[in-house]
Amino acid sequence: MMNYAMALDYQNCINCRACEVACKEENGVQLGADKQRIWVGIVEGSSNGKPFVNLYPSQCNHCIDAPCVSVCPTNASHYIKGGIVKVEPDKCILCKACMESCPYDARFIDDTKVSVDKCTFCEHQIEETGTTACQATCPTKVRTFGDLDDPGSDIVKLLKTRKFFFQKEEIGTLPKLFYLVPEDETYAQQSIGPNTKIHTWEEIQPLYERAAITRSQSWKQ
Amino acid sequence: ALSKSANIDKPAKYSVPTLCEMCVNKCALIADVQDGIVKKLNPNPLFPKSRSMLCARGAAGIHALYDPDRLKTPLIRVGERGDGKYKEATWDEAFEYIKTKLVKIVDEEKDNRSCIGYCAGEGMAEHTFKSFMANKFGSTNFLNHATLCLQTTIAGYSTTIGGYGQADLENAKYIIMAGANRAEAIVTPDTMDIFKRTRGRGAKLITVDPRYTNTAMHADLHVPIKPGTDLAFVLALTYVVISKELYNKEYVKNNFNDFDKYQKHILESEYKPEWAEQITGVPAGTIRTIAHDFMAAAPQAVYYQGRRSTWTKNDFQLRRAMALFSALGGGVDVKGGIVFGSKLPLAAHEINTPLYFNAEPRIEGDAAAIIGSSGSWVEWRNMVEADKAPYPIRGMFVYKQNPMLSVPDTARTRKVFEKMDLVVVIDTMPSDTALMADVILPECSYLEREDPIRSFAGIEPAIGLRQKVIEPMYDSKPVIEIMRGLSAKLSKPLWEITKKHDEDVQDELEGEDELAYYQENGFDLTEPYLHSQEELNKHAFVEKYGEEAWKTIRKTGVYYPGMEASFKKINNNSYQYYPEDKKVYSVLPVEEKTDASPADIAPWKRTFNTPSKKIECYLGNFAKKGIDPMPTWRQEQHVDVPAGKFKFITGRHALQTQNSTQNNVMLLELMRENFAWINDAEARKLGIEHGDTIEIESSVGAVQIKAYPTPKIVPETIFYVHGFGAKSDGLTFAYRNGASDNEIIEAGSEPVYGSAIMHETLVTVKKV
Repeated sequence: MMNYAMALDYQNCINCRACEVACKEENGVQLGADKQRIWVGIVEGSSNGKPFVNLYPSQCNHCIDAPCVSVCPTNASHYIKGGIVKVEPDKCILCKACMESCPYDARFIDDTKVSVDKCTFCEHQIEETGTTACQATCPTKVRTFGDLDDPGSDIVKLLKTRKFFFQKEEIGTLPKLFYLVPEDETYAQQSIGPNTKIHTWEEIQPLYERAAITRSQSWKQ
Repeated sequence: ALSKSANIDKPAKYSVPTLCEMCVNKCALIADVQDGIVKKLNPNPLFPKSRSMLCARGAAGIHALYDPDRLKTPLIRVGERGDGKYKEATWDEAFEYIKTKLVKIVDEEKDNRSCIGYCAGEGMAEHTFKSFMANKFGSTNFLNHATLCLQTTIAGYSTTIGGYGQADLENAKYIIMAGANRAEAIVTPDTMDIFKRTRGRGAKLITVDPRYTNTAMHADLHVPIKPGTDLAFVLALTYVVISKELYNKEYVKNNFNDFDKYQKHILESEYKPEWAEQITGVPAGTIRTIAHDFMAAAPQAVYYQGRRSTWTKNDFQLRRAMALFSALGGGVDVKGGIVFGSKLPLAAHEINTPLYFNAEPRIEGDAAAIIGSSGSWVEWRNMVEADKAPYPIRGMFVYKQNPMLSVPDTARTRKVFEKMDLVVVIDTMPSDTALMADVILPECSYLEREDPIRSFAGIEPAIGLRQKVIEPMYDSKPVIEIMRGLSAKLSKPLWEITKKHDEDVQDELEGEDELAYYQENGFDLTEPYLHSQEELNKHAFVEKYGEEAWKTIRKTGVYYPGMEASFKKINNNSYQYYPEDKKVYSVLPVEEKTDASPADIAPWKRTFNTPSKKIECYLGNFAKKGIDPMPTWRQEQHVDVPAGKFKFITGRHALQTQNSTQNNVMLLELMRENFAWINDAEARKLGIEHGDTIEIESSVGAVQIKAYPTPKIVPETIFYVHGFGAKSDGLTFAYRNGASDNEIIEAGSEPVYGSAIMHETLVTVKKV
């Protein structure tokens, strides 16, 4: 079985937005500033008179318990091989229930497809390239895509060496964007909320594996 | 038709490795084509310079190719200059028009070829254009982008340490990045190297900038500094290092020339941190800490060279002081410092250059201490505008440059074009400058042409090849074909003018066979452009690397000896190019031969590429021309900001390239227009809120632009990025988005190279 996920060394992000453009070009995403399958979240402010900026590159979490799939009345939102969450445009009736239910605001309406649209982890090219357009193009290599079920995959090798956290973990959707905790304590403190749980692979792996096994019956080939 | 019939021979789906031209980096990419349409541009991991990456602009190159506003056919002006009224023409009609006007002008100017100026933006085909205008046509009045860009930086480092070099950001332990902004002004491989090593991962990054940039957010320490005061900052660092004897004494003893003079000068001038604090706004304690930490990390410590434009009058001295500071730690020609790398050779093509007796030297040769072959854009423009040139400048050929947006004081640039009898612009887009032309010649885009093969120097040197991905669309052509057509049209008629006015030629021709003389002495202008670019590239490459390697590079787009054995994919994010022991860190000859590691040989005596073969503290030849022989702070030159005014500064960002990509629909949605940064506390006092339209006025112009009040900029300073504010209505999407910096930047130049000063203009700000 395969269980695709993405680790993000978000401390490398320079907000150059190469990933956004590569994604749009690779996947034919509708033009428009609000039509993004992936994006860079920006938190900006000042503390003690000094400005700071935190960047959180993001995209669909391909949650193992994805609320967007559960709420979809027509099964347009569905899982495919590797636990990737996809939308079947022909079945989408634009009811927007999935957009409402997504904790990550990862979905938008693509007017050219007359359908809700979102990240697919570039599933059409995984077999050929083993990567996604966003990972391939990134100048500072923020992203590592891979299979959580393969102990030899780039992502598992990385997660074994680095602590990580999830965004909005408390909602319980078992998201699959693994944000890597920066080595630098000051920056980790600046960029990770005080109530955020920090995980290790050893500790989280059994939970994700069990959930994936339970879910995988619906992960169509 | 989107593409010509030649594409029909190709399979429905194919890929071509080539080089990007969305900015100057020339990253390697692979273009995927389906049914004659370029569908996707992917990074080509084989190239050590750009490894596996394409930035937003690189990936958006397809929209430059398929931009609906592209220049599609030659155009001849029918309206007033600048009004955009043109008629379509064939190439022959366009060349005929140029010939008629040019022959008349050159005849009236008695074969003084320099009466026609020419300029070019940076690009792989720049030399093809230049070879025609300089070598064959014979004008001395060339202006390239250097004096609007990195002239003083290159020269400052070259005169001091013998080259500009490359900062080894993969191995440096301490980096001062002052003014440079590698997160937003992407340079490969620097941008890729540094941001994987910041935040406790081996490289300490100190940013010094009036703005808190995307680079500053990665810094261990960000030092806000008042614009135009960097030299005082570096001199104070130097004072600490010299007075406390923190420098690498062995390296200095072995490799510095006139160190005693520099030492005496720094100490006697009392460039103390407290002195610098008054000027720069940087606390003295911060300066001391940085000086100590830098030298503790040296020789793996770099005062990053940067590129960018000239900021102030003292810019050359600033770059010299920066180079000397890096060198004081021993961090030049050593792993983790500034390195020179090596370059793979390519065979050269000789051009048979005719001599025109009546061609005058360039007009602005005395405008600064050293005016090189690329001229001084601002001083040249100012002379022509003010009718101060020693002979009339009657025409201008412009290739891939947009002086209407890129040269300070746009109103004066416009006047220069309005005066001219013949303006020819070669470009892909109807830029503001194209609209000043009598004849516009449509170049094809970088995805539609082969360019001169290029060798890229570095720690991991390689050769890159830009290949044609699809046939040129519309009636556009690559520059080499434009030069072929133009030279064929002009050669004989211009020869007649030379024969008529050039007494040397008349003397030499007596009793000679005219045709043989014409050909042997290079007056046949067509000769360098007769072969295809592919043939020329093959010749340049095969002579050095052979036929097999030629087959390889056409398939891979990249070549370096040993590539097949040493290139390895480590994972989807990292690759090996050269094995560690083959990387080129130290290249200068050292006295002893050894197997010692690069760090061990750091202090050894080297032979630098300078007149004294050492690092030059004191430039005696410059002193003779009235230039400070050593970096010196001149308070009287410093521009203070009076109450109620602001200093205007400009710069770049990662989402558009200079002024050339603002019509790209993909990039437009990343950044539609520029905003003016203003310190938030000052904005509050002026009642300016985010998005308010403000008017910014200097002595040469005024613009309206939206405001971005932010704590990320120091007080008394206004910033907006360069490149927006196009006024050409041929640019459907870029038309009048935001404001152009050069509408308000005053046209000053620094005294050494005549480089345009970009950061000394005072402005007033008011809410509209």
